[in-house]
Amino acid sequence: MNSILQRYSGSNAGGLSKSTIDEDNDFSDAMWGSEAGFGTLAKGVPGFVVPSVPDPAAFLRLHTDDHADPSCRIKIQHGTTTLAFRFQGGVIVAVDSRATAGSYVASGTVKKVIEINPYLLGTMAGGAADCQYWETYLGMHCRLHELRNRERISVSAASKYLSNLVYSYKGMGLSMGTMICGWDKTGPAVFYVDSDGTRLKGDLFSVGSGSTFAYGVLDQGYRWDLTDEEAQELGRRSIYAAGHRDAFSGNTCNLYHVKEDGWKFIGNYDITKLHYEGPGDVAGSPGHGYGYDMRVEGRSSANPPEAPAQA
Amino acid sequence: MSIMEYNGGSVIAMVGKDCVAIASDLRLGSQALGISSNFQRIFPVTDRVYVGLPGLATDVTTLRERFRYRVNMYTIKEEREIEPETFAHLVSSTLYQHRFGPYFIEPVMAGLSKTPSGGFKPFIAATDLIGCLNFAKDFVVAGTASAKLFGVAEGLWEPDLEAEDLFETISQTLLNAVDRDAYSGWGAIVHVITKDKIITRTLKGRMD
Amino acid sequence: METSFALTGKGYVIVAADTTAIRSIVKMQIDQDKIKELSPHLLMAYSGEPGDTVQFAEYVERNIRLYQIRNLYPLRPAAAASWIRRSIAETLRTRNAYSVNLLLGGYDTSSHTPNLYWIDYMGTVVEVPFAAHGYGSYFALSLLDRYHDPEASLEEGLATLKRCIDEVSKRLVVDPGKYKVKVVDKDGIREVEI
Repeated sequence: MNSILQRYSGSNAGGLSKSTIDEDNDFSDAMWGSEAGFGTLAKGVPGFVVPSVPDPAAFLRLHTDDHADPSCRIKIQHGTTTLAFRFQGGVIVAVDSRATAGSYVASGTVKKVIEINPYLLGTMAGGAADCQYWETYLGMHCRLHELRNRERISVSAASKYLSNLVYSYKGMGLSMGTMICGWDKTGPAVFYVDSDGTRLKGDLFSVGSGSTFAYGVLDQGYRWDLTDEEAQELGRRSIYAAGHRDAFSGNTCNLYHVKEDGWKFIGNYDITKLHYEGPGDVAGSPGHGYGYDMRVEGRSSANPPEAPAQA
Repeated sequence: MSIMEYNGGSVIAMVGKDCVAIASDLRLGSQALGISSNFQRIFPVTDRVYVGLPGLATDVTTLRERFRYRVNMYTIKEEREIEPETFAHLVSSTLYQHRFGPYFIEPVMAGLSKTPSGGFKPFIAATDLIGCLNFAKDFVVAGTASAKLFGVAEGLWEPDLEAEDLFETISQTLLNAVDRDAYSGWGAIVHVITKDKIITRTLKGRMD
Repeated sequence: METSFALTGKGYVIVAADTTAIRSIVKMQIDQDKIKELSPHLLMAYSGEPGDTVQFAEYVERNIRLYQIRNLYPLRPAAAASWIRRSIAETLRTRNAYSVNLLLGGYDTSSHTPNLYWIDYMGTVVEVPFAAHGYGSYFALSLLDRYHDPEASLEEGLATLKRCIDEVSKRLVVDPGKYKVKVVDKDGIREVEI
């Protein structure tokens, strides 16, 4: 474990007694100026400061969130619902916006779709910082690929790059479950990548604590030949389902649609508003609230016998 | 995982001018999974006393049955309705009877008590799960959103609110507090007790 | 991976439970009936700790029958739910608590209403229009929020149940396998094939 750590902890990891207070000294001069800020790329992966204790990974594990220990010092964002699916008209990406720390709703306005570049989207589940950092970093590499090869990176290559990157940190506590979505020469594409190193190509994925609820609605409504409107409605309805049933998902739904000319942000929908009123005047709207009580209002399962006709 | 957080749910009670209010959310969950959005945990004890029972849902039902039995026995023996102060001690003693294997409920009570001059005086109280009484002059809270309820109530509550203003205050306090709690929400119910009527309203809350 | 579902419709309740008996990593039986017929208009699906389930279900069955013999009329669904809840809650804080999750579906012949009660091993009871126990609930509840209709005909209700079963087979790591499905309505109880 510590041998892996030393590989990634820059010039600092060797001597445990060395002070880590002056963090600027840990970066080489090459990072600034001469290499145009891409100094870190030259080494393949960036360096990080690690705590100066004998076993840094154990130290991190001790103080970060664990389901078994809610009293831990550092809480990493956990609850989430994200989904992405491929269909005839491109890729739909939909996510919720809730961040929780224990039972506390820390934020209801988190952006869980990361816009890597105009053709690539990444979703965020697990550690918020891990997803944000590495997917932004992936964006840099995708741009470099474009400059070097005079063509856009494929979704497959981009996701493989991310997968290899996070795999190289395996065992060090990275936590991310993401879908890399986009459109390339092969058409619409969705890849699932997580911090275990799993990378899967597929038509339909959902990740996070609310994913089972999203799957329930998504699987039943999914077809390859969905129209754009139907597909957007399905994505929205599935996130609503998860936001409603899962305590750790909710607040709002962010919806994206990726087509041949890149992704487009469709809208932000309040989940409670979806419950009571529905998505409003948008394509594919059912015209009423998604909520069960709204949908079945006035309907009853009682079947009293017909009143006998008056003689 | 705490057993007090297994089913989720919160209750708050507030004092107003010649009135009291008690309110709760309506969620029943099984940890993160929402099961029902119509789970009542506030119950009338007499015409002027209500009790809210946040905590483990099975104990909500068990304690409600137990309190109903003990209050009925009291009414028969004493030939009069129980006063809120007396009921609070009844709650406390019921819970302390189970000191070494407690019910996982932190009851909140609200009512109007009779004064010697024939008027009514607002009364609220709460206890912990083994019956330690807390008589407050302003508001009491309990449940998974208790920390959040304290914060909002500290900011919104003021003395001598009229019934309608008290309704608004307790409603806003509850709705905004449970929106910051993952285990509470899914709608809410409010009861305002005044000397001549009880106002009960179901609130639309966030459904996520 | 025990899974059970139940849903109400126009004048009926459908109760479904998987038929697999699992011990450790082994399937011991694939045609077990986990739904008891408690009275002419009352069904109970049970799951949970092996041993407790059948013991408790039989205890309930005999006592509900005893009530009917003594009083010449059966308990209505709401009363039965109350009695069953108490049986669980009273043993909860003893050394021999029953770890049994139940779905109680009945047709109330007095009010002409189908009733469904979700009951867990601690004695929590809620009346619901549809319910599920086990890992299946994480997939089926959102699906039922979307597709359940209280005025659905039996055919439509069974189609919705089929969606739940298919979804769980598709997504759950271990497919619960076959299901037994029973319906209770004004005419009593019958088993249906799906």
